[in-house]
Amino acid sequence: MTHSSTIASEQSGIGQRFDSWVLDRVRRRRGPTELPRTLEYRHIYVMPTRFGFWFGMLLALTVIGGLNFNNNMTLMLGFLLAAIAQLTTLLVYRNLAGIRIDAVRASPVFAEESACFKVLLKNPEERSRFAIQAESPDGGDVIDINPQASGQLSLNQMTVSRGWLQMAPFRIENRYPLGLFRAWSVVIPTARCLVYPKPAPHPPALPKTGRGDYGAASQGEGEHFHGLREFQPGDPLRRIAWRTSARHQKLYSRVMESPRDEACELNWYLMGSGNPEEKLSILTAWVLRAERRQIPYSLEMPGAALPADLGEDHRDACLEILALYKP
Amino acid sequence: MSDPGRKTNLWLIATLVLAMSPQVLSMPISVLVLTLLPLFWRIGSEIRDWKPLPAWVRHGATAAALAALFFSYGDLSGRRAAVSLLTVMLSLKLIECYRIRDARLVICFSLFLCATQFLFAQGVLMPFYAAATVMLALVTLTKLQRAEAWAREGEPPPVKASLLAELSFSFRLLALAVPVGIAFFIFFPRLASPLWGIPDSTLDSKTGLSDSMSPGSIQTLFMDDSPAFRAEFSGTIPPAEQLYWRGPVFWRFDGRTWTSGFYGRNIDAAAVPMPMDQSWAYTIQLEPNEQNWLFALDYPASVPPDARLTMDFQLLRRRPVIQLIQYSIISNPDFTDMPELSGPFRLQALDLPDGSNPRTRALVDQWRRETPDDSGFVSRVLEHFNREPFHYSLDAPLLGAHPADEFLFDTRRGFCEHYASTFAVMMRMAGIPARIVTGYQGGWFSELGNYVLIRQSDAHAWTEVWLDESGWTRVDPTAAVSPLRVQQGSLGALGAPRHLLDYSWLRGLRNSADVVQQRWNDWVIEYGAGRQARLFAPLGLDHMSPVMLVSVLFLAIAVFSVIIFPIVLRIKGPGHKDPVQQAWRKFLKRLEKAGVTALPSDGAIELAEAAAHALPAHSDAIHRIAHLYTHSRYAPVPPPFADLKQAILDFRPAKNAS
Repeated sequence: MTHSSTIASEQSGIGQRFDSWVLDRVRRRRGPTELPRTLEYRHIYVMPTRFGFWFGMLLALTVIGGLNFNNNMTLMLGFLLAAIAQLTTLLVYRNLAGIRIDAVRASPVFAEESACFKVLLKNPEERSRFAIQAESPDGGDVIDINPQASGQLSLNQMTVSRGWLQMAPFRIENRYPLGLFRAWSVVIPTARCLVYPKPAPHPPALPKTGRGDYGAASQGEGEHFHGLREFQPGDPLRRIAWRTSARHQKLYSRVMESPRDEACELNWYLMGSGNPEEKLSILTAWVLRAERRQIPYSLEMPGAALPADLGEDHRDACLEILALYKP
Repeated sequence: MSDPGRKTNLWLIATLVLAMSPQVLSMPISVLVLTLLPLFWRIGSEIRDWKPLPAWVRHGATAAALAALFFSYGDLSGRRAAVSLLTVMLSLKLIECYRIRDARLVICFSLFLCATQFLFAQGVLMPFYAAATVMLALVTLTKLQRAEAWAREGEPPPVKASLLAELSFSFRLLALAVPVGIAFFIFFPRLASPLWGIPDSTLDSKTGLSDSMSPGSIQTLFMDDSPAFRAEFSGTIPPAEQLYWRGPVFWRFDGRTWTSGFYGRNIDAAAVPMPMDQSWAYTIQLEPNEQNWLFALDYPASVPPDARLTMDFQLLRRRPVIQLIQYSIISNPDFTDMPELSGPFRLQALDLPDGSNPRTRALVDQWRRETPDDSGFVSRVLEHFNREPFHYSLDAPLLGAHPADEFLFDTRRGFCEHYASTFAVMMRMAGIPARIVTGYQGGWFSELGNYVLIRQSDAHAWTEVWLDESGWTRVDPTAAVSPLRVQQGSLGALGAPRHLLDYSWLRGLRNSADVVQQRWNDWVIEYGAGRQARLFAPLGLDHMSPVMLVSVLFLAIAVFSVIIFPIVLRIKGPGHKDPVQQAWRKFLKRLEKAGVTALPSDGAIELAEAAAHALPAHSDAIHRIAHLYTHSRYAPVPPPFADLKQAILDFRPAKNAS
């Protein structure tokens, strides 16, 4: 990862202190960024990059040499390059100004995975934007945005524990065209990402009740053969009844069924008195496993209970309860 | 990961090649080879994907380059050697330049290398060289910036701009920077005196007249058409036969070579003429020649600062002229140089080696008996040159032990130094004090620029004899042989062309074009602290202090930025083409022909609904195109562009009759 080291080095020393000073200032003065925000002059800072600093040093050397030798052509070249550098402060600013940050979104993730925040940008003007970057402590992204087009920057952020993950402040920045100057704007987002508990790697077996009172028979998935129907796109290949299909010159899929009496009850109170986080981890793993095996599952937690069901919505609801559990 | 990519690397190499080109041309062959080898290797490695060289090869190449530099230049402190060192190191850097940081380093120092080239040449073509280098550097830096931004993505940045678009972008950047650059140039305070010492040599060799004269020494200058200096007269311009630009004066003669002698260089002029009404006032723009002589017409009544006037009226500058300088002089032709000739001077001006040129001595003795009068004797010798078949010619035969004898009696063909030398020898034999003056004679008057251009080929040698009634008196024996030389210049007098491309119309063209260089020198090269201080003299501000200059500079930058800003607003960067957008526009155009106009507020889907309603026959095609377009734009895995393109190509609704 050579790159992360260059980003880090750019952030070291004075640069880092300046950046955190700007961040503090923005936080105190303006608070969280309200979206959508159109980047205007008062949001945008421009500073030389490290490369810009060394370029400036070399220019100074050239100009001093030119002055000393009274060599006007050397001076002229030095001044011209200085004027170009001055012009790029304007360009680097203009490349950012006018961009609208529409929204920041993130899908839930499990703890210790990295959350991916998607920053939606819109370029409402008739000119292209080049190499627009988003930089956060854990990474960054870059895009070009065409005239009157939208773009999306993905920012990863490491998660540690379950619950709501507040998105860290990030910068929208660019160094286009020459890399001498950096224009940036600080965004203090209100966006957050739901972090589910980390599924236990080796959970105990699913607590099957066998009662199946609340369980609805579910077709399509399961271990027991139910019948045949015509193949539909999306049916798994392994489910195709090859023999029957060969006989009828048409593809048939087997329809499977989970037995009515198989269901599981995921109950906090039945798990003994272990470490609550470990219990949450195991419950999470169970939810995932039950969903995978298409066994209807119910969840009972202190203060919340869901009847046995299947499907993504049910799973997400269960996981959310687990993520936000407060002992 | 942070490899700039092949195309960027090729731009980088192109920038460096252009930046080093003037320097490379002046390099000794061994250094040249060691500079070009890494360059070729890197180009080959970019095209053929060669592996990076092992470290020992790089170190070996560096050591070899340093050794070659040291053996070629002797020491590395000279400017040419130092710049050659920079060039070689930059070229060697290419074989280990695989990161963005290294590439930027090479670009920065290529620009620096470009700036150092102005130490050696400041001609009117140099700005074009510099501008081209800057343009290539800007393209490379832009590409490097994109490579840097995309470095973490693990894939190269999207490249959509054509070569022409890249160049035109950097050209616009350059053009927009010019006004501010000029403001800097005009108002940035200059140093009245240097901060640290300036070396005495910058040119690859000394040019122009030298501090000695032997047969053939001026003849070599005759082939050199480069400008020596320019003179701009503020009043009347003297006639051609008065334009004797005085340079080195020689007193001492060893039978073959004339040298300056002790007095000429060490004793200052005792009496200086007063500037009179009929004096000539002019400004000289002297090209660098690494010599100390400043040229002036006889007799300088004023001495430029930093120079002194010797007793034989040479203007000697304290430091060699290593870059173009300008100085103003007033000359008063009406002056008697040394009414009295004191003993030591007379002895020096009569001294001859013993026993040389016996035939000449016999002739002089005979004539001297017949013409005891000094000026009569001078006339008699000149008459002899004029009447006998002497020729003014380039192909003078080599002379042996008694040059004057051989020239006077046998060969009779020669250039100005043969005539001047022989004449001075004859004068000294006759007891008339004589010395040699070298310099330039004549010049080409530029009607366009109203100045006289003197080229190296106008170099000339003449004599001065000391006469009781007029002191040191100029006598030009060449004029006696070939009056055309003085009236029309050396080239006109010669008749035959000197080389293959030597036509008078070509010379005329080149002379006329020199006005560009003259103006360039005057306005740009010679702009300095003095002129800067007087910038606003017409407004009544006699002296601009540095603080005032900087204030004006900032004001100018602010004004320019306000003017530039609206222009910048129209810069769109390299025209990145978006094929999807282009295809979509084509679709919109076809719809429009069919009578469906897109509202700017419509999204693709709304537009498709409206269009399908208006053109029910094409409803499927329209929906398919809209679907492909939105998916190309927004889907995580966009469909192949070819599908959209084909769908739009196939979409041919009938033209709306209305």
